[in-house]
Amino acid sequence: MSPAKNFQLLKQEDFDRLLTWLDSDPNGAGLSYERIRWRLIAILASRGCAVPEELADETIDRVARRVADIRDTYVGDKAIYFLGVMNNVHHEYLKRPKMARPPEAVDDVEVKEKTHLCLDKCLDKLTANSRHMIERYYAADKKAKIDLRKQLAADSGVSLNTLRLRALRIREKLQACIEQCLQTEGL
Amino acid sequence: MTDMANPLNPAVSDGPFDEMIRRFLLGSLSASEQPLFEQRLMSDVGLDARARLIELDLADDYACGRLTISDRQSFEQRFLVTVDRRQRLRVSELLHDRFSFSGAMERAARPETDRGAKRLRHFFGLDRPAWRIAFGALIVLILFGTVLLVVKGPRLAERLTNRIIPKRSTPRSAPREVNHPTNISSPEHPSTPSPMPPHDSATQSPQTVALFPTAPDAVKIPTVTLSNGERDFVRLKLAVTVDQKVPHRAEVLTIGGQSVLLVDRLQGPQIEVDVPMRSLKGGKYRVRLSDARDVSKKEVASYYFLVQ
Repeated sequence: MSPAKNFQLLKQEDFDRLLTWLDSDPNGAGLSYERIRWRLIAILASRGCAVPEELADETIDRVARRVADIRDTYVGDKAIYFLGVMNNVHHEYLKRPKMARPPEAVDDVEVKEKTHLCLDKCLDKLTANSRHMIERYYAADKKAKIDLRKQLAADSGVSLNTLRLRALRIREKLQACIEQCLQTEGL
Repeated sequence: MTDMANPLNPAVSDGPFDEMIRRFLLGSLSASEQPLFEQRLMSDVGLDARARLIELDLADDYACGRLTISDRQSFEQRFLVTVDRRQRLRVSELLHDRFSFSGAMERAARPETDRGAKRLRHFFGLDRPAWRIAFGALIVLILFGTVLLVVKGPRLAERLTNRIIPKRSTPRSAPREVNHPTNISSPEHPSTPSPMPPHDSATQSPQTVALFPTAPDAVKIPTVTLSNGERDFVRLKLAVTVDQKVPHRAEVLTIGGQSVLLVDRLQGPQIEVDVPMRSLKGGKYRVRLSDARDVSKKEVASYYFLVQ
């Protein structure tokens, strides 16, 4: 596929049709969309693709353009359809001339310090329980970490896996907050 | 199938399957495992939630240095390829830096102090590059100064010593100042010069009198003028007419025979004897020269001088 053919803007009506095909409930459709996109990215990254987000979005765009043709006839798990399209997109990607990846920008000291200040601000926004939990969750290493997390789970009256899920949610809040803070700082 | 019975339920721990998810995320599955896992990931409800947890663990493990070398390489090449994952790693590193090294528990107990210090530093602008440049310049200056001291140290030290402890002038007019340093606050300072020895001709200007062997009743004898200086002395130059190779003993006596000074083991054609002024009074004196080896102290020559 030539680059010109590859670059096609997705029409809003195609995107809406895709969401409706995934789930008639708009909230459910949004969740399904995010979940499928995450899975596509994970698979492409696992295959060694350097631009998994780009290829995942290209896959979704292609499916969205075809929904009008397949929605009445397609039978089976819709996510699997995405996987088939993704295989084609990835196959085309492998035929492309390899582009050298630009070197990762290394954060200088000033950026790191501002990031730590953002962390302070974002930790302040957490509830006292959440803050206490995340501090203890990251308070020790290796064996001590396992013991501490078991203790933390026991203190909270939850299983270790539930504790991990809670930590994940708190971390996602922190991550979003830090990114927003860094944008405000102009970084 | 209930949620708890589902092996892909993130609330249920499954070691071997978690390990498989880890290998998938690091791109380390075999060629046969990879397509099967991909199919399962796309179709099984709940697997992505579990994979997200393990994604978090991987980022934490990388940030804490808990991955093997090959896993670290895989992590960098196969895992760290999306913006979201890089941000995830950044949060892991931040949390690890903040809470995970030794003393984390103490800091957790007093986070306000820690944050307060950071904020104070930010408030005064100590985190600005200008301060870093200033500190860098200061370090360079200190290094330069150290090198200068090492290279030119002895000369500088000498100059400094001369400036701090100037050479003293002849203490003739103020002898007490020589023997008793005026620096009362540090009387035992090691750099304070010790009193000058009485024979230091460089700083003393003694009276010098040449004496020749004479008879006791000689009319014309050399004269010495008394001075008040505590350390003043008169230098008597005795012309030796007898055997000059043997050691001699010179004894200064009042005319009444009272010994004033005895000096042993003198040698040469001209013997010098320094007599402190304070031991002399007005009157006539005799210098009695004898062979130092002779226990009988038999006189070999006599000299006379007058003190006024």
